[in-house]
Amino acid sequence: MRWQRCLLAAGTAAALALAAACGGGQVRGAGDRSSAPSGAGGAAPPATGTTFVYAPNLDVVTDWDPASSYSNEIVAMQNIYESLTKYNIRTQKVEPRLATAWESSKDGKTWTFTLREGVRFHTGKPLTAEAAKDAIQRTKDKGAGAAYIWDSIKKIKAKDDLTLEFKLKYPAPLDLLASADFAAYIYDTAAAGSGDLEKWFAEGRDAGTGPYTVDSWQKGKEVELSLTAFDGYWGGWQGAKFTRVEFRVTPELTTAAQLVQRGEVSFVPRLNPQLFAQAAAQGAQTTQAPSFQNLLALFNTESGPLKDERLRKAVQQAIDYDGLVAALKGAGVAASGLVPQGLFGHVAGRTPKQDLAGAEALLKEAGHGPGGKPLTLTMTYAQGDADQQLLATLLSSTLSTLNVKLEAEPLQWTTQWDRGKSADTGKRQDIFVMYWYPDYADAYSWFANVFRSSDTPSFNLTYLKDDTFDEAVDKLNELAAVDKEAALTSYADLQTRLIDELAAVAVPYVMNYQRVLAGGIGGYVDNPAYPNVVFVYDLTPGA
Amino acid sequence: MTASPEPAGPAEPAGPAEPAGLAGLAGPTGLGRRPARPLRLLLRRLLRTARADVLAAAGAVLLLAIVACALLAPWIAPYPEDGGTATHPTEALLPPSADHWFGTDQVGRDILSRVLFGARTSLFIAVAVLGLAAAAGVTLGVVAGYAGGWIRDVIMRVTDVFLAFPALLLSLALAVVLQPSVTTVVVALAATWWPWYARLTASVAQSVATRGYVDAARCLGVPAPLIVFRHVLPNSATPVAVQLSLDAGGVILTSAALSYLGIGVHDPTAEWGLMVQQGQTLFTTDWWVVTFPGLAILVTAFAFNVLGEGLRQALDPRGATR
Amino acid sequence: MLRYLTRRLGQAVLVVAGVVTLTFTVMRLVPGDPAVAFAGPRATPAELAAARERFGLDDPLWTQLWNYARDLAGGDWGTSLHTRQPVARDLTLAFPASLELVGAALVVAVAAGVPLGVLAARFKAGLPDLSVRFTSMLAVSVPVFWLALVVQTVFAGNLGWFPVAGEYDSSLDRTSPLTVYTDITIVDALITGNWPVFTSTLWHLALPALVVAAYPAGVIAQMTRAALIEESGQDHVRLSRALGFGRTAVLVRFALRPAAGPVLSLIALVFAYAIVNGFLVEAVFNWPGLGRYAAASIRSLDTPAIAGVTLLVALLYVGSNLLVDLVQGVLDPRVRTR
Repeated sequence: MRWQRCLLAAGTAAALALAAACGGGQVRGAGDRSSAPSGAGGAAPPATGTTFVYAPNLDVVTDWDPASSYSNEIVAMQNIYESLTKYNIRTQKVEPRLATAWESSKDGKTWTFTLREGVRFHTGKPLTAEAAKDAIQRTKDKGAGAAYIWDSIKKIKAKDDLTLEFKLKYPAPLDLLASADFAAYIYDTAAAGSGDLEKWFAEGRDAGTGPYTVDSWQKGKEVELSLTAFDGYWGGWQGAKFTRVEFRVTPELTTAAQLVQRGEVSFVPRLNPQLFAQAAAQGAQTTQAPSFQNLLALFNTESGPLKDERLRKAVQQAIDYDGLVAALKGAGVAASGLVPQGLFGHVAGRTPKQDLAGAEALLKEAGHGPGGKPLTLTMTYAQGDADQQLLATLLSSTLSTLNVKLEAEPLQWTTQWDRGKSADTGKRQDIFVMYWYPDYADAYSWFANVFRSSDTPSFNLTYLKDDTFDEAVDKLNELAAVDKEAALTSYADLQTRLIDELAAVAVPYVMNYQRVLAGGIGGYVDNPAYPNVVFVYDLTPGA
Repeated sequence: MTASPEPAGPAEPAGPAEPAGLAGLAGPTGLGRRPARPLRLLLRRLLRTARADVLAAAGAVLLLAIVACALLAPWIAPYPEDGGTATHPTEALLPPSADHWFGTDQVGRDILSRVLFGARTSLFIAVAVLGLAAAAGVTLGVVAGYAGGWIRDVIMRVTDVFLAFPALLLSLALAVVLQPSVTTVVVALAATWWPWYARLTASVAQSVATRGYVDAARCLGVPAPLIVFRHVLPNSATPVAVQLSLDAGGVILTSAALSYLGIGVHDPTAEWGLMVQQGQTLFTTDWWVVTFPGLAILVTAFAFNVLGEGLRQALDPRGATR
Repeated sequence: MLRYLTRRLGQAVLVVAGVVTLTFTVMRLVPGDPAVAFAGPRATPAELAAARERFGLDDPLWTQLWNYARDLAGGDWGTSLHTRQPVARDLTLAFPASLELVGAALVVAVAAGVPLGVLAARFKAGLPDLSVRFTSMLAVSVPVFWLALVVQTVFAGNLGWFPVAGEYDSSLDRTSPLTVYTDITIVDALITGNWPVFTSTLWHLALPALVVAAYPAGVIAQMTRAALIEESGQDHVRLSRALGFGRTAVLVRFALRPAAGPVLSLIALVFAYAIVNGFLVEAVFNWPGLGRYAAASIRSLDTPAIAGVTLLVALLYVGSNLLVDLVQGVLDPRVRTR
């Protein structure tokens, strides 16, 4: 009787398998290829070409629409789509991409771009001023993601096939804005014909002009996305180049390190300092580059104990900046001012230093410190971020010697942010820790988004309300478009005001990228304006 | 309803008792109908088992040692301040040596000290979770078993729902939505474990409630709370105690898993699961950061599991036949 | 029989309703605003409002619960906040890989656990018994996430005997493409005779399956041992022994068969548990299953996705229990009267 039971179980399993088998087969990895648009610029190069394998630690694509894409997929999108201009980190200037030349009127309100000749979209359609205009207009109209970069535009006009003219509502550095990491892509708005373009994209298709086009996209699989060379690319395919790009999602750093060691992946965007040193010692190529992303500790200037400027300054001085950077072992570098190096507005020689005696004096003055009233501060930071964790551990250690108890809570972003924006000021934290990075290579967003006052807090989690500061911020963009020197002075003054006078913020460190590249690959340059992006077309495969 | 048989069934075939570690899975069965035993007899029985069962005896010794470590951590830890907020960034990631037997972590804290302090966290969580779960479960179980009728049905169906989630899953979902802290971990785990105690007690209470002398007491007008206190609770004590010791290992493993996933206890509290999580990316370069806390979890869970298994064999009449 | 069947099914339906309600309740405890998570970190108030509208977050709770249950029944499990795909679709993509891993682990667990249990029972109270009990206790006490790290680093990293991570060598997708029927890679490779993919998958499967198998193997060994010792006390076994059959022969031929019942139902129970345990292992070995999906969902506080995973596993658990009970009810009349 017991054997009957076993038989029954086996039978059920077999029946299930059979039922599934009758469902019809499908070849894995080929599903999306068959539905790819015909009319693409010819057959893909043979599969035997060289493959570049990128190992991101999170899923790659959440949004295929180049108008609204605003997330991790940038690492793929920047290889599929192109913008009018591109920011060059070495020269700190904007250089040609789809546009070959541009000029602006004296008042900075009219911009004219000349487009590159002979460019074709992956759909087969040639790039014209009209097509570029349609793409920018659609992105601006959708108003999602980083579309605000086009906010200044009043009217776009295609003057001829290759000349694009923008009329602006107010002066803005449009050449820089056009190089933004998101929302600046030029794409074929007619790719779906009469169909719904958004849905067409959502199925994992693209309509860009870049060197690579989507080959297959399998959400949830280990190799989530593969791209293949676009034969009709305007730059051509002379010389040794990668003809295929794969994104192999690898959440664990140790796993990623072992994979690159064994040559199974070509590039790991970020490792921890120990694994990074190990990889370097074992012969992989490693590069370090400071990013445009810095950590901000935003002090609550409106309510709670840190309303007292002296206490803010005390915390600012209690942070062990050197110790933190040392403990990060290369994952972070010392910050100088609020604007990271490499961006217009950066000021040198402003690296903060720990001053425990000063901090203690300030605390004493306010009635706290050793022997004084005990003080408890709450701090919120990102859960799962080892580097922020380090700041929390070190700072609470230092503050506890000053009779200050730091309650550091790691939270999910939504929870952390909700608490920061809470209408009840009693629920808000005293210190809000977060990373900030710009959407285009400019310092403006630090001031306009993080510190300019607003009635209901969004990112201005210092809750600062300072009219003279606001006025100066509002003039920044116009100033930058017409008088660079004056703008630079203004940026420097604003940083002095925020950090030294108001003590609204501390900048513990600037994130440092520690990249590992498989041996032999040449031509890699890190460009922090496009975080974590590898422009695969520019690389040469190893032997 | 889950596959664990209704404990109150009258003619339940005496299946084999389920092994330790499975306690959170298959549930207690058939521990219900025994009168309370005099303490002396119980002790003698325990001693006899200890002599017969080397493994359980070893578990008991190990556990005593762990409890001692937890209680004495501030005095026996080489660097007691490292169990708290102290940091020494300049001594980060030193390999095991005479100064630091287990090496140091990312911010230079002595890992041996933190492992010792971690025993406090883990044992505290286990005691708090099981205390809460048993208190809630026993109360509801007594009510269900004694009251019977629809009250019993409602309570038992609710336990069915809770038991439909594997322990880690439900506590994981709860811990994710609440904010990470020791309290969250305790609440999330207790919410997962109480149904077992409810079922166990309900079956004891039901069998007691239908007995002659209880009927007689009721007819004589003895108030219900007194009957529960005099007859139901003493009868539940032994099976609940056995269940507690069997569950402790599971609670320790699950709470470590929650901390490992980053949704449990957070720094600077010393917790083994958290230490493994924080050292995970260092495993190939600085092996000691992960190895020792992991071993601590293993040893503690092992001690509880063998002890619980031994206790059950000693106290369960069916176990005694072996 | 019919009465037993309807009663048992009725209970299952009640439990499922409870499971849905409980999942919904837990997810409503989330302190943050799910709309924020969907609309992204730099969303405008208008985008937030649109997201709230889209998820019906402004409706009263009862309406939301009712809509939730209705949508679930209709196959709409919500939209994941981090993948922006339907949760049901994400789950169908991730589940086969988890099933593959847990299936392999259970095979390993049975293959290791049953013989060990027999060995322990055969030499009861002897050294083999002690070592089996010791080992199986270790196996149920080891934190899987830690074991996964250790095993991966030693056997894949240092010794290089096994692949570090992944389900199979992805370059095979081009040289030896797999035709998919069941979405369980190893089964598909087997039925289509795709040997390169089959061996590659087997190779990648070895380490994670071994780690996931630790707990069920320990439990099965203990259970087999206990069941065999229990059975050896029964009259028919004693009789066979008296008739002159050898100890081992008696155990295997007469005691193991009846003991298979409890062990089989145990496997059904361990199944859902192993899937959740697999969560902790999948992340380490980069196995493209539910665990990796759950981990990513936890990181981004993706409540619809977490709810989906929780529900799926709970339903599996209820389902496998129901199946075991029904099968036992069919085969063993005594069960029905309970």
